[in-house]
Amino acid sequence: MATVISAAAPPQQEPEPGPERTPSRDRVMGVFRATPFTYATLIIVSAVLCVPLVFVVSIALSSDQTVNANTFTILPREFHWDNFTRVFSTDLPMQRFLLNSVIISTGAVIGQVLSSGLVGYAFARLRAPGKNALFIIVLATMMIPAQITMIPQFILFKELGWVNTFLPLIVPNFFSNAFNVFLVRQFVSRLPSEIDEAAMVDGLGFFGIYRRIMLPMLSPVLIAIGIFTLTATWGDFMGPLIYLNDETKMPLALGVQYITSTSQALQAPPWNLVMVGSILLTLPMILVYYLGQRYLYEMDISGGSAGVK
Amino acid sequence: MSKLRRREALWFYLFASPWIIGFVVFLLGPMIASIYISLTDWDSFTPPKFVGLENYTRLLTEDPVFWKALWNTFFYAAISVPLGLGIGLWLANLLNKQVRLRKVFRTLIYLPTLVPLVATAMIFKMVLAPSGPLNDVLGVFSIPGPSWLLESIWVKPALILLSVWGAGGATVLLLAAMKGIPRELYEAAEVDGAGPFRQFWSITFPQLTPIIFFNLIMGLIGAFQVFSQVYILTKGGPDNASQMMVPLLFNEAFSFYHMGYASALSWLLFAVILVFTLLAFRTARRWVFYETEVK
Repeated sequence: MATVISAAAPPQQEPEPGPERTPSRDRVMGVFRATPFTYATLIIVSAVLCVPLVFVVSIALSSDQTVNANTFTILPREFHWDNFTRVFSTDLPMQRFLLNSVIISTGAVIGQVLSSGLVGYAFARLRAPGKNALFIIVLATMMIPAQITMIPQFILFKELGWVNTFLPLIVPNFFSNAFNVFLVRQFVSRLPSEIDEAAMVDGLGFFGIYRRIMLPMLSPVLIAIGIFTLTATWGDFMGPLIYLNDETKMPLALGVQYITSTSQALQAPPWNLVMVGSILLTLPMILVYYLGQRYLYEMDISGGSAGVK
Repeated sequence: MSKLRRREALWFYLFASPWIIGFVVFLLGPMIASIYISLTDWDSFTPPKFVGLENYTRLLTEDPVFWKALWNTFFYAAISVPLGLGIGLWLANLLNKQVRLRKVFRTLIYLPTLVPLVATAMIFKMVLAPSGPLNDVLGVFSIPGPSWLLESIWVKPALILLSVWGAGGATVLLLAAMKGIPRELYEAAEVDGAGPFRQFWSITFPQLTPIIFFNLIMGLIGAFQVFSQVYILTKGGPDNASQMMVPLLFNEAFSFYHMGYASALSWLLFAVILVFTLLAFRTARRWVFYETEVK
């Protein structure tokens, strides 16, 4: 399966099914022959899928007048780049939203990376009575939908006085989650066990082995977990919606929606600024994907949809 | 047990303690609490009143919105998930051919899946507006476009459209899997005179069924829990035509503080997801191909 994944990893060279393997063009097999129809379909589909994105940019660059008159076009006709600075200077607390998103996501990523590594390593390498039963529970918990625990968790955090703070969105991440534990365990299981046995002979304790030997080797899986956690937390809407009701505490994902829902009935939401907000929400995800894709593909996500949303 | 083994076990429980504590505090405890809450009438401020199974019977027999939400969720999941996978498979098959600029096409098709759901909802609010670009395009072909999110017949197709916009996720995954199919299979089929269509259905598709199956299951589970786009775009309207299970649950819990009723709803949601997952597994034997069975 490793070959499958590396074949998909964009930064590496792709083994093109054609030229290198089949010496002459006419020997390309029927199934792999691209016809003009193939190109036409791909061009049309890519264009249709990207039109909404162009439209967003167009609205984001429109003036307030254009927005109020509802006369924006799919391709941008005006270029009010100042909208991108305006969102930080008007009464919209956009920089606050952005900062909140950064704080919450950073906390969540640190929590998941720290805890999943430790727990996953323990399940992969350390022997203890009851371990297998516990691991079955780990797998079983993946089936429980979050909605079951949503209400009692809310009550718990309310009792702790954590409502309207970032804590309910950050703290649970320090206790890892089943999926990430599973990922780390699978990853560690594939590493040769001679490494830690040798370290043990050299007198390193279990924590020393983890800290000095395992941790450096775990970086691909931990980076992948960091990316999953970042993507999930950055875009999370329901969590902040349940726990945060103070405008200055909202992360961007909730803030963008908040702007559109609180505008007065007579006054339409400032769609150009909302779209600027949507772009600010999206760009980091594109950047993270671009920088991190090789780690995502390196992870053996064979049957899984883990790497992609 | 030797001293060393005992020490190792101790370290195991120490290392695993974050998960164990998290499991007890954030999952097991809340699950037990949820069962109890679902048997009470509770607004989270005054003491809960035990009512037995009343919440469940009321949901199943007296609440028309519950059945509507269940049907809508089912409709949404049953169409959006297979449709997204089908389109993903179709596009992956095109990209698996010897296409120039493959990376460019793949990136463009994948790009929409990187847009966070809230931003996607904002985008579709504009795209699906009665005088938005989608209806402009339909107007070019003199098709009068509906006011998508405001009409009960069109609101579910509109939400399905939004989900299908992300078909690039399945495309990239299936394309990666297609690259792993041994070329000898195609070469043999070519020698036997099978055309591209026959090769797709007799080689590509069966080889991909395990991955398609996995994504079908995960997709269905996710689709049954659809929330953000419904909450942001329609609030379940018009006339509950797009009311779904989780938005309904959210409203009951956090707008009306019917904690007992909402907890009962969450268990019914779990039951529904479980039933459909098991059903999918039952059908799997008939169409999912595992290499090991042949060897």
